[in-house]
Amino acid sequence: MVRKVVYSIFLAIIVLALAMFFAAYPFGKNKMTVGEYYLNHGVAQTGAANIVTSVVLDYRGFDTLGEVSVLFAAAAGVAILFFLAGGTKREQEDLTKPNFVVRVGSRIIFPFILLFGSYIFIHGHLTPGGGFQGGSIIASGFLLLYLSYPGTRTNRDGLSIIEGLAGLTFVVLGLIGLFLPQYSFLYNFLPKGILNTIVSAGILPIIYIAIGFKVASEFAGIVDDMMCQVICRGGGK
Amino acid sequence: MILVSWVLIILMIALAILSIELKNLIAAVVAVGAVSLVISLLFLLIQAPDVAMAEASIGAALTMAIYIIGVRKTERSEKDG
Amino acid sequence: MIIRLIIGYFLLYFGALFLLLGAFGLIRLPDLYTRMQAATKSTTLGAFSSVLGVGILHPGWFIKCVVVALFILLTAPIGSSALMRAAYKTGVPFDERTVVDEGKEFFGEEKKEEAK
Repeated sequence: MVRKVVYSIFLAIIVLALAMFFAAYPFGKNKMTVGEYYLNHGVAQTGAANIVTSVVLDYRGFDTLGEVSVLFAAAAGVAILFFLAGGTKREQEDLTKPNFVVRVGSRIIFPFILLFGSYIFIHGHLTPGGGFQGGSIIASGFLLLYLSYPGTRTNRDGLSIIEGLAGLTFVVLGLIGLFLPQYSFLYNFLPKGILNTIVSAGILPIIYIAIGFKVASEFAGIVDDMMCQVICRGGGK
Repeated sequence: MILVSWVLIILMIALAILSIELKNLIAAVVAVGAVSLVISLLFLLIQAPDVAMAEASIGAALTMAIYIIGVRKTERSEKDG
Repeated sequence: MIIRLIIGYFLLYFGALFLLLGAFGLIRLPDLYTRMQAATKSTTLGAFSSVLGVGILHPGWFIKCVVVALFILLTAPIGSSALMRAAYKTGVPFDERTVVDEGKEFFGEEKKEEAK
């Protein structure tokens, strides 16, 4: 009881401090000069209609490469963990088969989820969304497939190849910029094109498509690992 | 609009408290997923659709599935203590 | 023009009425299964027809609205059937006024099929 009172007093102090701190900053106003710079010059400099994409992939492209590698490290960590766990003992579990409605319905919905995810990452430079969002939507489609057909396994080698090729595309596109006269990593060397068309903004859509494939294959790999822990009978691979 | 966002914020806080207090871990995971769904609505209200999409698909679908698989592999309910 | 407005507003208010009825059912009905029925059937019809009504009122959005409505029509029953089956299998109790339990027969046959 005393502990709970102490906790709530501390919580109240923290909330009060945070509220006082944030009350000094008006929300939604451009306080930072760099934000104003991006809003004023972003469309002209990158050619991407979606300003978030121009920040994420062009001005802060190197950070995005870091994020993608963090995601890769997480997926690899999950795979290694379950590989080690699978070496010792694998519990058998009886999963009940999902009912008829779920099976048929997910078979109908799955292609539409794939279509929607690829739409989101292909149009990443025009509409909200991008590689991360589209990739995770595709991975949730795979999750639906795993839940409705518990015996499914994806082709892990295919997933690794897709992931590697996508990462390679990103890095190679970045490295090409280094050999151009402008000397910068991830320099946008392709022509900008016409604003608001699909072939515009130079290398940004290519990078976003690569990120979409990479994120989708990584998340699908994680889901595959974890579902296999639940479902796989006996040894397996 | 401000009223809607306050209702959503109160709902979010209530769901977060619920997810801590529930002893059945599957129900707690469902509450966590509902929290991230409400957060994605809030992101949509403050005109950040990119973040809202990421939050809805990762927070409400994939993270929840991973938590549920983890709960299945370990203990179903939390012990007092 | 007038006919389009009439049809659109009719669909919109029809959907809103069914959503309201679904909300009442969620409060008034006694146990999980009947509440799920209120929360799924009437809500699906309500969301479907109100989205369609918006599409008719705003012709530029018509195709998008039809796609959204079809998606609602596809997903809501699937999710509710999965939820209902999970609730039945984990043994959520019926209300004491329940007359017949058809699930026993249905899921019993399903178990026999799995055993084959």
